[in-house]
Amino acid sequence: MYRYILKRLILVIPVLLGISVIVFLIMAMLPGDAAQAILGSFATPENLARVRSDLGLDEPLVTRYVIWLGNMLQGDFGRSYTLQRPVLDEVLDRLGPTLLLAGTSLVLASIMGMLAGIIAAMKQFGWQDALFTFIVLIGISTPSFWLGLMFVLLFSLNLGWFPVSGMTAVIGGGGVFDVLRHLALPAVTLAVVATGVIARLTRSTMLEVLRKDFVRSARAKGLPERTVIMKHAYKNALVNIIPVLGIQAGFVIGGAVYIETVFQWPGIGRMLVNAILTRDVLLVQGGVVVVAAIYVLINLTADVFQHFLDPRISV
Amino acid sequence: MSTSSKLRRFFYNRLATVGLIIVLLVIAVSAMAPILPLADPNATDLDLRMLPPGSEGRPLGADELGRDMLSRLIWGLRVSLAVGISATVIAAVLGSLIGIFSAFYGGVLDNTLMRGVDMLMAFPYMLLALSIVAVLGPGLFNALIAISIVNIPFFARNVRGATVGLVRLEYVDAARLSGKSDMQILFGELLPNVLPVIFITISTTVGWMILETAGLSFLGLGAQPPTADLGSMLGEGRKSILTAPHVATLPGVVILVLVIGINLLGDGLRDVLDPYLRSGALVSPRPATDVDDQLRRRLDRPQNVAAPDASTASTRPSLEVDQLQTWFWQKRGRRSSAVRAADGVSFQVERGTALGIMGESGSGKSVTALSILGLVPTPPGRIMNGSIRYYGEELIGARIERLRHYRGNRIAYIFQNPMTSLNPLISVGEQIAESVRYHQSVGRGAARARALELMHKVQIPDAEARLDSFPHELSGGMRQRIGIAVALANDPDVIIADEPTTALDVTIQAQILKLLDSLRQSEGVALVFISHDFGVISEICDRVVVMYAGQVVESGTVDEIYRRPLHPYTRRLMECVPRLGERARTLEAIPGLPPALDDLPHGCRFADRCDVVMDECRVAPVSLRAVENREARCIRVEGQDV
Amino acid sequence: MKRWTAIAVLLTAITAMAWAAGAGEQEDGPETLVVGQIAEPNALDPHTVTAVNDFRILVNLYDGLVRFQDGSLAVEPALATDWEISDDGTVYTFELRQGVTFHDGTPFNAEAVKFNFDRMLDESHPYYDTGPFPLSFYFSAIQETRVVDEYTVQLILGEPFAPLMSNLAYPTGLLVSPTAVETHGAEFGRNPVGTGAFQFVEWQSNTNVTVEANENYWDGPVGVEQVIFRPITDANTRVTEMLSGGLDLMVEVPPDSVQVFEQRDEFTVYEQAGPHLWFLILNLREGPFTSKAMRQAVNYAIDKEGLVENVLQGTATVADSPIPPAFDWAYNEDLDPYPYDPARAQELIEEAGYDGEELVFYVTEGGSGMLDPVPMGTAIQADLEAVGIDVSIETYEWNTFLGRVNPGLEGKADMAQMAWMTNDPDTLPFLALRTAAWPEEGGFNSGYYSNPEVDELLAQARRSTDQSERARLYREVQEIVYDDAPWVFVANWQQNAVAVSDLQNFSLQPSFLLKLAPVSLD
Repeated sequence: MYRYILKRLILVIPVLLGISVIVFLIMAMLPGDAAQAILGSFATPENLARVRSDLGLDEPLVTRYVIWLGNMLQGDFGRSYTLQRPVLDEVLDRLGPTLLLAGTSLVLASIMGMLAGIIAAMKQFGWQDALFTFIVLIGISTPSFWLGLMFVLLFSLNLGWFPVSGMTAVIGGGGVFDVLRHLALPAVTLAVVATGVIARLTRSTMLEVLRKDFVRSARAKGLPERTVIMKHAYKNALVNIIPVLGIQAGFVIGGAVYIETVFQWPGIGRMLVNAILTRDVLLVQGGVVVVAAIYVLINLTADVFQHFLDPRISV
Repeated sequence: MSTSSKLRRFFYNRLATVGLIIVLLVIAVSAMAPILPLADPNATDLDLRMLPPGSEGRPLGADELGRDMLSRLIWGLRVSLAVGISATVIAAVLGSLIGIFSAFYGGVLDNTLMRGVDMLMAFPYMLLALSIVAVLGPGLFNALIAISIVNIPFFARNVRGATVGLVRLEYVDAARLSGKSDMQILFGELLPNVLPVIFITISTTVGWMILETAGLSFLGLGAQPPTADLGSMLGEGRKSILTAPHVATLPGVVILVLVIGINLLGDGLRDVLDPYLRSGALVSPRPATDVDDQLRRRLDRPQNVAAPDASTASTRPSLEVDQLQTWFWQKRGRRSSAVRAADGVSFQVERGTALGIMGESGSGKSVTALSILGLVPTPPGRIMNGSIRYYGEELIGARIERLRHYRGNRIAYIFQNPMTSLNPLISVGEQIAESVRYHQSVGRGAARARALELMHKVQIPDAEARLDSFPHELSGGMRQRIGIAVALANDPDVIIADEPTTALDVTIQAQILKLLDSLRQSEGVALVFISHDFGVISEICDRVVVMYAGQVVESGTVDEIYRRPLHPYTRRLMECVPRLGERARTLEAIPGLPPALDDLPHGCRFADRCDVVMDECRVAPVSLRAVENREARCIRVEGQDV
Repeated sequence: MKRWTAIAVLLTAITAMAWAAGAGEQEDGPETLVVGQIAEPNALDPHTVTAVNDFRILVNLYDGLVRFQDGSLAVEPALATDWEISDDGTVYTFELRQGVTFHDGTPFNAEAVKFNFDRMLDESHPYYDTGPFPLSFYFSAIQETRVVDEYTVQLILGEPFAPLMSNLAYPTGLLVSPTAVETHGAEFGRNPVGTGAFQFVEWQSNTNVTVEANENYWDGPVGVEQVIFRPITDANTRVTEMLSGGLDLMVEVPPDSVQVFEQRDEFTVYEQAGPHLWFLILNLREGPFTSKAMRQAVNYAIDKEGLVENVLQGTATVADSPIPPAFDWAYNEDLDPYPYDPARAQELIEEAGYDGEELVFYVTEGGSGMLDPVPMGTAIQADLEAVGIDVSIETYEWNTFLGRVNPGLEGKADMAQMAWMTNDPDTLPFLALRTAAWPEEGGFNSGYYSNPEVDELLAQARRSTDQSERARLYREVQEIVYDDAPWVFVANWQQNAVAVSDLQNFSLQPSFLLKLAPVSLD
């Protein structure tokens, strides 16, 4: 088991390296650079040259990549050009809120989605199934950025139930309930699409599993229906659902960008968008590598969990 | 499935039809945009800015530059649709090519391509799209490229998965041997077979790619003025959301409706194209078999409700099945037709005896057995007629709690395929113990002990260690023993064994049979043993019932049936059983096939294959005739009608 | 089943109670001012940043040698009580205010001033690497900073540079504590120490920057105890926060939302013309705009009033020349903007011999001071189409846009949007209208305008130290440029702000900076 985890972790490294190269190349291809972004209207060729030299942007590409890579492996992701602080500090500051948002959304989506899927599978052809189809359909067809705007309009402005933006109240904030109040709308908005996907998958997987012989055996033993569904059927369904949860995690992290914009959530998605627009190369690279690493780790966790569930999956 | 039945099936799905209508409407409106009487979508009129919907000259309102919303929505829809579809097609083509080549050539190419795909997938998709657009510059075409690239991995993976399954099939080797070039095989053989997967993947992603493109435009990186798609309209309208919410709300609603339509359509297509879905795999059985309404009403009448009568318990048969009819209902278009799986079956079993039910597959023996405790899947099954009594208590239509009381407790099953009948994720010991816990209300420790005891009883070596093993860790024979242990868990009165040895090899078979026999003798259970193999039945059963095409065609003791079969079918079957002392004979299969159970002949159901058939046989349904202690369903047999 | 229902009800009840508890929330007390910013600050080191957004915080944490007068762009003493300029205009001697300490207790003196300028300008300075210092070129005229005595310092220039005083008043001239820079090095940007009305408390990334009143402020008592700056990038969210009480003050109100605040008594809307110009650069080297008639024609063809009233919702005024009226002392009152006159425009177009060719128009989609570039670009295109000029728009993201426009429009476009905000009437013409400012020479004259008379006038104005003399010269420049029409002069931004009506002593500064020392909440 531990060797399996170790082996997978080692395999992660080439993937991250590949990603870092891709990011570096993309950033290098972007027209304009950080010096331009910092100077803005004042970017005379002279000023540009001076700032570029100060930032080390006039070195050849390969040199810059190698220096960056070397530093990164020692834990030094460099300094952001526009923010003048270590990239790692900024990335970690912004990562927390995104993980909170994405994590909560994913948990919400998983719970609601799986619950809905199980109920729909059990009450197939009943009104619950029809309602389910309707909700799932809306969920996967809605543009999340639009939904976020509508929510703010309705719940924050008109009804005043939730705060309009940000992660904590400005004064006296920071407590758990405070954060939860701020988290509610963004997390729900972000969860909407993922819920639809997970619900649909759960329903179809459950339907498949419920047809299996061992479910019939469980019923033949006279076990209560709840036990048949949860202990016998659901556990088997979960084995197939988990890998999808891992992939959904990626989308949730990606979709967080829109939500972070609409709700002013201080997360890493927005940080990366801004960094791209201001050509803050080091920040983009550091951020992307960290996010990709997390995504890969999530999938690894899903795989390991799957192994725990299903003894047939060998490591 | 033929094309016409595919179409029919599609339209049957009402939701899919709605989806199709929406999509067609959208496409029609977009295509006709140039000829519709619409205002110029780009004409600004600052006097009219932000007018609400329903205003003069601006039926759906005006945006922040006074342009007509209705017109802009339609033109914007055109753009969104065009981009979404193009992006999907590009991603589909490139991704599928990668997938097919990867699967076909395998090796290094496969590895490299798939590592590349993995990396692309590990990259947070939004960022990848943003970066690509940032490099190429904003613009709809560039957004299209970005979205296409980002979605290639899905196609690549799905298509590769599907192709890998096909590549190993023999027909590919055959094609190679016949001299076809790689390209011919790829595009001539593999691609057509993978097309359904490609279409299915397209149907799942196109809606979502429209959303993604709208998202990029929303962020200002997609459509540039004066081109507008629905996303950029939303983005621009966002600024005036407080004063003129319609500018942002309307495009969002249009996107929603469009994507809903596409998704509904896609679901419908999947239903038709996906062979897995088509096979009816997505219908789950209910906890107990349905009972036909008329039957239920009849059974509810007072004189038919027989309470279990303790005084006569010991003299009554354990299990009585009387004229059982269990049919499977299918919908063909508007009509429903029934497959008469069990069509008037009767038998009974006494304590301590073993009854064999014999017949070929499709004869209705398993369905009969499953009907006893309502385990026939509904849909599509339904018990139409008959009575099943356990010590006099009517089981058909009984409340589910009552059925559960009997299931695994007083009446137990042993299923045919022990690999699939055991839950792969739960230890075998637990699968025994849970039955004990539920029916006997004992704690975990006691149940576990009982499970161990049962495992010993079924002669599982090293039972202690095996308690926590999983089914896949045991051999076929052991698994079946577990199955038997599960059945025995609560000392049942009746055990129904459905082909318990068919999936096992001969030596194991013998062991299991011996086990069952000894258990019957020592525990005094009534055993119902279902098999297609008379040799096995003769080993363990006292009486036999022969079934054909859903009916009992003959019954009697094992000996009687063997030595003097009455029904032509039984006679042919007995001729196939090897006799000691005789040299190997040529085995003649019975020509023909059993009749389709939803299209049964009016007269004798065996008539078409019978070697002694007469014209009268086909005239009317044949009833069972009693001869001494036996019955046979043949007009040639002299006896009393039963 | 009943058990689950009971649990669900219980959970809902608990959640509802906690909600109510959280919601009955913290009202900000009368002593805290919450300000909505348009973006997260980049850093709090005044020499390393370029954005007005950062400056708005910085002028409250730091002071400079001089500062802008209240309501004007004229300069008044701050940390320097008096100054003298030598006759040849190359030596500036400053008398420093005594008894002032930085927030960390270290004394403010001439050594400190020297440290500040040397750090920015001298590559060999030990703390030069705490940069980069993008706007240090404002002080590139300074050759040496000399300490005369503890409270006297001299700035020695290579040649006369009249705009120096304005530049010193500009946030790039704010003075930082040398000790703090020595302690924190490159992290100084997150640990600011100055002499200003407020001192730094904390900075929670992307959430807020908190500062509290400086008890020992040299310029008198501070009106509020604490100020919290909240970055809210999305304009609508800023507005909704303001409406729901999450902010006391916000700047850059989106034009369409101004009316929402005007209608409510609990808010007050402030407006102030700024030293800002929004214009279209025209390509004078090739294409139809080589003809002056054509250039004037487009000035007549565009309905600038319409733009300003309808697209910008009155948050700007129509511009007439390269020097905005905010520079009250240098502005030429006699000039009126080109009126909206399509007929005249068509006459001029004919005169110019325009043959119907398509013009390329570079539009950007964002950028500091660009107002609402996309709708404005669209409206302009429509106006030009109406007089028969065929325009095709190419839109670019801001940084890419700058990358294309700054090197010059030749071969790329006939016209491009641009906006500048400066602090001295010299800056924009110097950087964008001189012959020596062509892109090939390192300037921003992307349209290749060249008029030797203008060049001469500007050079003179730069060297003169007499304000009225400078004013006269600038007025002449405006007249000439108005007539030459190398640009389409479109708008001067009226910056706006909204505050709760309880806010006292607040006014918007023409410099666009936020002076919060005197304000108070009642």
